[in-house]
Amino acid sequence: MEATPTTGIYGLMAEFDTPTQITEAAEKAYAAGYRKMDAYTPFPVEEVCHAMQMPKSKMSLIVLTGGILGGIGGFLLQVWTACVYYPLNIGGRPNFSWPSFIPITFECTVLLGALSAVLGMIFLNDLPLPYHPVFNNPRFNRASQDKFFLCIEADDPKFNAADTRKFLESLHPVEVAEIEK
Amino acid sequence: MANGSASAHPLAPNPVLDPGHNFNSIGDKINAVVLTPKFRPGWVLGLLISFGLLNVLLVSVAWTIFRGVGVWGINIPVGWGFAIVNFVWWIGIGHAGTLISAILLLLNQKWRNSINRFAEAMTLFAVACAGLFPLLHMGRPWFFYWMMPIPLPQALLPQFRSPLVWDVFAVSTYATVSALFWLVGLIPDFATLRDKAVNPIVKRLFGVLSLGWRGAASHWHNYEMTYLLLAGLSTPLVVSVHTVVSFDFSVGVIPGWHATIFPPYFVAGAIYSGFAMVLTLAIPTRAAYNMKDFITDRHLDNMAKIMLATSLMVSYGYGSEVFFAWYSASNWEKYMMFDNRMSGPYMFFYWSLIFCNFIVPQLLWSKKVRTNTVILFIISIIVNIGMWLERFIIVVTSLSRDFLPSSWGMYYPTVWDFGVYFGTIGLFLTLMFLFVRFVPIMSAFEMKLLLPESKVKGGHH
Amino acid sequence: MEITANYNPPDSGPAARKFLALGVIGLIVFGIGYTVNKTQFYNSYLLAYIFWTNMALGALMLTMLQHLTGGAWGVVSRRILESATRTLWVMVPLILPILFGGMHSLYEWTHTDVVKADPILIAKAPYLNETFFIIRTVAYFVLWLGLITLLNRWSAQQDKSLESAVPATKSMRWISGPGLIVYALTMTFASVDWMMSLDPHWYSTMYPVIFVVGQVLGTFTLLIITMVWLSGREPMSKYITKAHIHDLGKLMLAFVMLWAYVSFSQFLIMWQGNVAEETPWYMIRKKDGWQYLAIVLFVFHFALPFLLLLSRDLKKNVRKLAAVAGLLMFMRYVDLFWLLRPRNEWMFEKAAEAHDKSGHVFGPHLTHSFTWMDFAALIGFGGVWLGFFLLELKKRPLLPVNDPNFEEALNHVGH
Repeated sequence: MEATPTTGIYGLMAEFDTPTQITEAAEKAYAAGYRKMDAYTPFPVEEVCHAMQMPKSKMSLIVLTGGILGGIGGFLLQVWTACVYYPLNIGGRPNFSWPSFIPITFECTVLLGALSAVLGMIFLNDLPLPYHPVFNNPRFNRASQDKFFLCIEADDPKFNAADTRKFLESLHPVEVAEIEK
Repeated sequence: MANGSASAHPLAPNPVLDPGHNFNSIGDKINAVVLTPKFRPGWVLGLLISFGLLNVLLVSVAWTIFRGVGVWGINIPVGWGFAIVNFVWWIGIGHAGTLISAILLLLNQKWRNSINRFAEAMTLFAVACAGLFPLLHMGRPWFFYWMMPIPLPQALLPQFRSPLVWDVFAVSTYATVSALFWLVGLIPDFATLRDKAVNPIVKRLFGVLSLGWRGAASHWHNYEMTYLLLAGLSTPLVVSVHTVVSFDFSVGVIPGWHATIFPPYFVAGAIYSGFAMVLTLAIPTRAAYNMKDFITDRHLDNMAKIMLATSLMVSYGYGSEVFFAWYSASNWEKYMMFDNRMSGPYMFFYWSLIFCNFIVPQLLWSKKVRTNTVILFIISIIVNIGMWLERFIIVVTSLSRDFLPSSWGMYYPTVWDFGVYFGTIGLFLTLMFLFVRFVPIMSAFEMKLLLPESKVKGGHH
Repeated sequence: MEITANYNPPDSGPAARKFLALGVIGLIVFGIGYTVNKTQFYNSYLLAYIFWTNMALGALMLTMLQHLTGGAWGVVSRRILESATRTLWVMVPLILPILFGGMHSLYEWTHTDVVKADPILIAKAPYLNETFFIIRTVAYFVLWLGLITLLNRWSAQQDKSLESAVPATKSMRWISGPGLIVYALTMTFASVDWMMSLDPHWYSTMYPVIFVVGQVLGTFTLLIITMVWLSGREPMSKYITKAHIHDLGKLMLAFVMLWAYVSFSQFLIMWQGNVAEETPWYMIRKKDGWQYLAIVLFVFHFALPFLLLLSRDLKKNVRKLAAVAGLLMFMRYVDLFWLLRPRNEWMFEKAAEAHDKSGHVFGPHLTHSFTWMDFAALIGFGGVWLGFFLLELKKRPLLPVNDPNFEEALNHVGH
């Protein structure tokens, strides 16, 4: 928050009214060679991600791994308890009562799968994040309500304050704002 | 979608959102309930009544813990009594929330978007109420951690071959995953509240809750996948939870419990009672907050249809038990069904359950009934009662008369049984009242997806 | 709306004729089996008959289900399902040999001497007796064919014009609710009659559910293969998108999981309960090689297709999805084999004592293994069934153009 105002800016942000406009804007920005940019929308707009050629989300892999580990762990926990740590005859059933171990194995699969889904999403999205420059745009509170923003970041090799502003203005936005770091 | 096409089919379904809304009107309407500093008198009154009932719970639980579970009506042979009846009843109610939020999402049923938040909250609170009962029924609830796989000094580990231990895992997993699903769904809406709040403390509070969500496309990209994956995990989970609950009974050998149909029959019953409870809560809520444009008559109609379908599935279960009790040619099974349930000491409850769960819901075949909120509300209450009776019949009739007539006995609940039961209703309603006031009762960002203007035109893909 | 676009099916006539020819050859070869071993003949007959009839009955169920639920998958698959239901007419004459000849070779409870010595079978005799069995089977077919006739008639009426579509659609929706109840009840009793009573002492309330889930899964495999076939050809290649087939893949995955769920639940309850009335059914299936078939079922009917179908890319790849559907269709047969064939010793003892009318002792009796008769029956019934299915398929346009969900279904892109 109280970081000294740096000389640089975070990026330039253009505001749009509809999901169609932002998708076209993102498409054109990508075509113009910009890579370090992001769109900000009040609800998921899948087409924007396509327009910016985002790689496939890694979430499926994370959840699959978590689920498999949970399942194996849950099953081994029961086998170890029933066969190694404390074998006990229950109604003449074998120590290795695999059919009775299935329900808990399943529950552990789901539990770890779900936990890794949520933690994975939080980790991949770099949350929780107490400060982010985009909020410096006074109009940005509309991004969670009804407006659509495209921000081209200053880190982008093609970024140039004047040219990029001109480019963004050519997309007919509501306005283009400079975002402080 | 098909808007703008000149030749709309006469039988095309009504929209799931009444026309005349835009992004702002949806968000404003939902968030206004939370952000207003005023408290409506009806809400305060309802909260106070619920809170009064909650105090009944506190007194009853305190007394139960102080004196032991002997203050309840349970004894040999009916050792399970109200505690398990109520546990199954509450956990079943929770199932509709997960069904709406997860299964209907996977099935691409858009009408769910306006009721999922509400139904998921109901799930969480119902599971909380459900969890109380086995905890208290243990007698010494402070040793609850003995059921967890913790290597304690006395070498006590859970008996993993017992369905009761499966239950511990199933219910705790269910509570955890439902809470995660609910909270993940709330993140973008908390961000909206943060951006709209005027009061700086409220703003700060929602800022923390939203984790700094800023709606970046790269975030939505992972978020959408996470949401779908959680739905994919919750769907078999919700089925497994009531399946495991049914295993509590069905892996035992007592006639009336040991039936292989129990898993799907219990799951259907859970969804049935859950939808009944959603209707019981949604009908007054939508009237109180004037949300008829969001929870439309089509929503009520759809939920009523699901209730009718699950009623028929549950009734299939009753019929199947009767037929196979006869077909088994086993004296125990026949006695249990024809001489105990149908004409034994609890026959009044058996036939009441048939009336509530099978006969009354047949009214839902009529479209007029499905769209009449008063009748629908009454039916939903009757179904709630019927599903409670069903669990009562399963638990009590089978236990009270097992194989050996000399060990038969009757079950009579005490005032403390009723105290704990009605008390949990108080807990549930208190939490629901707090929820509708302090959390957006609908998922605003998902509701916005119902608007035609949320779609990108021109087929970018 | 008049049908302006071309939704006509490709000419499936040549393929149909090939299947019919194959089927007739199969049935002739299978017929020789009757003279070799009658017990084996009827057991193979029942298995192949149920396998193929299930396709038609599962299609009936899905037709009614999609009328009630709507959804894009229902609109694009309905005509295929309706064609499959109409083949049930072919299966009517084919049940007669079982009703009027095969029952003694199949069902222990038809032998009065056996029943007399067995108190449980005496108790069940009011239900398990030949007359009532025949009456029930006739009743099932009357009800099924009644539903099929009405649904198909109204479906044709729906195509005529938008005006006629409204009452027709309403009628189809109106009958589908009660129709599904009729379906559930008839399938329950049919599965008890035809299959469960092969082991007349045993009972399980889950069994009809397992049967229905398997039946619908079988229909999904057929549906997906047919859809993939049609989507590669004019004119349907223009209308059936990957999103449609993806949806069917999801539903097939759901049914794979459902099958595992109901099958395992029944097993777990019986294994853990360990009651003498129930365990024999599993006891005979855990020896003599049946246990390996159980493992095959676990791996290829559940684990492998489950893992494959989890992948979104695979479900969107029509060829791979069709391959998984093919595997599952085959496994449906294996599952039925595992349900029907392992039998108490009764079958073997009785068959050994039995004589046919000419006084010949039966040769080798009901075997545990897959025989040439099973193969011939599978090909014979299959060829005939598929041949009629393809002939029915080309009788009507492949898309119900006046369905209320038609436009939305064609624009379906999925996610």
